[in-house]
Amino acid sequence: MNKDSKANPFVRGVLTTLGDEKRQSISIPLFAILLSLIAGAIVILCLGKNPLTAFLSFLQGSGILPKPEYAAKKSIITDLMSMINMWTPMIFAALAVAVALKTGLFNIGVSGQMLVAGFAASITVGYSNLPAAIAMPLVLVIGLVCGGAVGALIGWLKHRFNINEVVTSIMLNYIFQYVISFFINSYYINPVSRQSQPISAAARLTLVDVPVFGLKMDIPLGFLLTIPIAFLVLFLLNKTRVGYELKIVGLNKKAAKYAGIKVGKSMVTSMAISGALAGLAGVTLYLGYYNSIQPRVLTSVGFDSIAVCLLGNSHPIGILFSSLLISIISKGSNYMSSIMGIPQEIAQVITGLILLFSACGAYIRYRVAQAREEFPGGKLQIGAESKEKGGDKV
Amino acid sequence: MDEYIVEMRHITKRFPGIVANDDVSIAVKKGEIFALLGENGAGKSTLMSMLFGMYEPDEGEIFIRGKKANITSPAHATQLNIGMVHQHFKLVENYTITENIVLGQEPSSRFLGLLPAVDIKGSNKKIAELSKRYGLEVDPKKKIEDINVSTRQRVEILKMLYREAEILIFDEPTAVLTPQEIEFLLEIIRGLRNSGKTIILITHKLEEIKKVADRCAVLCRGKLVGVMDVATTSTKTMANMMVGREVNFCIDKDPAQFGEEILKVEDLTVKNHDGLPVVKNVSFSIRKGEIFAIAGVSGNGQTEVADAISGLLPSCGGKILLNGNDLSGTSVRERTLAGISYIPEDRQEVGLVLDFSLADNLALKEYFKEPFCKKGVLQDEAFDEQGERLVKEYDIRSGQGISTLVRSMSGGNQQKAIIAREIELGSELMIFVQPTRGLDIGAIEHIHKQILTQRDAGRAILLISLELDEIIGLADTIGVMYTGEMLNIAPAETLNAIQVGEYMMGVKSV
Repeated sequence: MNKDSKANPFVRGVLTTLGDEKRQSISIPLFAILLSLIAGAIVILCLGKNPLTAFLSFLQGSGILPKPEYAAKKSIITDLMSMINMWTPMIFAALAVAVALKTGLFNIGVSGQMLVAGFAASITVGYSNLPAAIAMPLVLVIGLVCGGAVGALIGWLKHRFNINEVVTSIMLNYIFQYVISFFINSYYINPVSRQSQPISAAARLTLVDVPVFGLKMDIPLGFLLTIPIAFLVLFLLNKTRVGYELKIVGLNKKAAKYAGIKVGKSMVTSMAISGALAGLAGVTLYLGYYNSIQPRVLTSVGFDSIAVCLLGNSHPIGILFSSLLISIISKGSNYMSSIMGIPQEIAQVITGLILLFSACGAYIRYRVAQAREEFPGGKLQIGAESKEKGGDKV
Repeated sequence: MDEYIVEMRHITKRFPGIVANDDVSIAVKKGEIFALLGENGAGKSTLMSMLFGMYEPDEGEIFIRGKKANITSPAHATQLNIGMVHQHFKLVENYTITENIVLGQEPSSRFLGLLPAVDIKGSNKKIAELSKRYGLEVDPKKKIEDINVSTRQRVEILKMLYREAEILIFDEPTAVLTPQEIEFLLEIIRGLRNSGKTIILITHKLEEIKKVADRCAVLCRGKLVGVMDVATTSTKTMANMMVGREVNFCIDKDPAQFGEEILKVEDLTVKNHDGLPVVKNVSFSIRKGEIFAIAGVSGNGQTEVADAISGLLPSCGGKILLNGNDLSGTSVRERTLAGISYIPEDRQEVGLVLDFSLADNLALKEYFKEPFCKKGVLQDEAFDEQGERLVKEYDIRSGQGISTLVRSMSGGNQQKAIIAREIELGSELMIFVQPTRGLDIGAIEHIHKQILTQRDAGRAILLISLELDEIIGLADTIGVMYTGEMLNIAPAETLNAIQVGEYMMGVKSV
C-alpha cells in the first residue's frame, strides 16, 4: 500500500482529497456514493439509456423533484410522504445496527427482531378494537419490548455461553421466520392476499389516504419519532454512563474489565437497546408501511440497514442521511422503470452497488489509516507481516 | 573462516525509540551448541529474527557457510537450511502432526492414478521414520489439539528436520516446559548436535546453558558483552556479565517509615487459561510506606500476582486481605473502590482506551461517580476540569490538550496519564507493573520519583519489574519469583544486584 501511494500520484491525490480523520467521516461515504453512482451509470449506459435522466427520475419518483404530470389527487407531496413512509423503518433499523456496532457486536438479526415485534404487535393490538389513541402507543411499546427481548437474548447467549452473536442472530432469524409463518398460515391468513389479515386502521402507524388540500396521501406518524430517537441514541452514546461503558467495551474489552465495567452486562444492554430499535423498525414497517405480514419472508430492510449504518458512519445523524438516500432510490425505482423502460431490477442493482461501495467505505478508511500509519515506520510493518506469513512455513 | 557456519558481523537494528541490536558480531561453528544469553529485551530474539529473515538488519552483514547472504524472508532462510522453533508455536490446531509438518512442502501422489492429492500415507511413514531417527517419538496421525505442549514442541523440531535444516534456532524453548520435559529436551538438543546439526539456543536460564551449550554469547541492552566457553566459565561469572553491571542512575531515597500492614497475601495460587498453576502458594505482606518489589524474569508469575490482587484474574486458592478485609469474590470495581490502584503492564491494551480522548481516559476509573456522572448523565465539564488539572499537575504532554486521542500520544505521556489517574484515586495500595518499560531515561526518572513520593505519603506500593536496577534502586523489601514460587523475601539492603540476579535465574545458592 505505501509503495503504491509513494509511486502513484492518483492514490496520493485520493488520499489528500479524503483528508484527515475528521473530514473522512463525511468524505469517505460521499466517495463511496460517487463510486456507486458511476458504476450505476455504466450499467444504465450499457442498456443504452441516459444515466442522468435515470438519476433525475429517481428524485422525481420519490417526491424530491416534480414530475411532468400527476394522476388525480396526487402531487409531489404525496410522493414525498410515500417515500418518508418507507424511510421511517430504515432509520430505526440502521440505528439498531449502529448501537450494537458501538459495543463491537454485529446485529445481523435486525430482520428477525423486526418480524417478532411486528407479529406480536399485530396479533395483540392490530387485531383488537382499541381506539387509535391507545392502540398506537401500545403498538410502539410492544415493538420496543419484543425487539428488546430478542436482542437481550442474543446478548445473553454471547455473554453466558460465548456464542457468537452473528451465529445466534442468523439462526434466530430462521426460527422466527418459520415459527411466525406457521402461526400466520394456521390462524391469521387472509386467503385472498396470502398474507396475514390486515390490521385495524386504528392500530396502523401510517394514516392511509388522508384527504389534504384535495390530495389523497399517506401520513407516516412513525416518522415523527425518527429524528427525536436518532438524537436520543446520539445522547445515549455520547452523554450517558451507559453509552460510555458500551463504547469502552466496543473499543477495548480488556481496558473495560480493568476499569471495572461488567463486560457481559454491557453486551446484553447494548443488544437489548439494539433489539428495541429493531422492534420500532418492525412495527413501523408491518403496522405502518404495510398493514400485514407476508409469511416466510424476512424483510430486506433489516439487512440493508447494515450497509446504511456503515454508509452513515455508524453515527445517528449520518444514518438519517444515508437511509434517506437508500429510500429515495428504492421509492424512485418504480417511476424510473416506467418512464425509462429500464427494468425495475436495475434500481435494485444500484441500491446494491451503493451498499456494496459503502461497505468498501469502511475498507477505504481502513486502508487510508493503514497507509498513514505505515508512512513513518514502513519497514517495521513489512517485517511484522512477513513474520506472520513466514511462521507457517517453518 | 570456513569453520564458521553462521557469521553475523556488526549487526545493528533499530526500532522506533530503541536500538535493539547495537553493532553485534557473533560467529557460530558447525556442529556446536551456541547459546545466546541475556535479560528480557536484551536483543536476543531480534538478532535471531534477522538470521531467520523476519527482519532485515539496518547495518551489518550475515554470512552463511562463508557466503554473504541477504536473508529476506523465512522462506529464504529455509532454503539456506536454517530452521527456527518459535517461543509461540505456529501449528494448525485441527490438523494432524504429519499434516502440520508437511504443510507447504506436501509430497504429491495421484489419487486413483488421476487426481493430484497429498500423499498422507507416505508422509506418515516418513515422519514416523524421522521421529525415530532423532528420538523424537510422536504419533504422526494425532491432531495437534490433542497433544501436550512438549509434544507440540517436538512437532516444531520435526518440522525443521523435515525441511532438512542444518542450523536450528531455539527461541526460549524451555519457557513452556516442566523440569522433566526440559531434561528431555536438552537430551534431544544434544542428540541433534551429535548428528551434525548446528544449534543456536536463546535463553536466559544459566543452568541450561551450563548443561548443554559449548559456547555462549552474552547480550545486554542490545550490545554484545562477551563470548565465552561454557566449560571454563562459572555460572556466577555469566550471571555477573548478564546483570552485574553498574547501576546507571542513582535514586535519592529517604529512609522508609513503615506503618501498619495494608496488604496481606496468603498462599495465593493462580491458574492460567490452560489450567496450569502459574502462581504457587505465594505469601507476602506490604506495610504503609513500604515499596515491596517482586523481581523475576518475565513469565514467572509476577504479573499474574498483580492481576489476581486487582481482581482481573480469579485466584484459585489462598487469601488476599486489604486492611484485614478478605477480597475474595469481589469485583474489579469493588476492589478499586476499596483502595487499590493498578498501573498494568500493558498500558495500551489494558490501561487505556486508545481511541478515547485524554480527558476520558483520565476519568476511566471514576466516570461513574459524582461529579463525573449525575443520574446516569455524564458531566463533560467535570471531565474537562479534572483533565486540565491533571495535565498541568502531572505534566502530560499531548498535541491537542485533553481532547487528544490517547493513541496519538507518546508512550511516556500515556504512562504519565495512567499514573496520574491512579494516584488521583487516593488508594492505600498502588500496584506498579513494569512502570517504565520502553520509556526514555527522563520519563523513567520522573516515574521513579513519583513512586517514591507516593511511598513517603504513606501508601503501600507493590512494584513488579523485570529491570533489576529499578528494583534495587526503589525497593524497601525484595521478593524474587521463579516458576511461580516466591523464592526469597528479604529487606533490600541485605541483597545486591548479583544475588537477586542469581535468584531470578533459579540459581539458589547465594
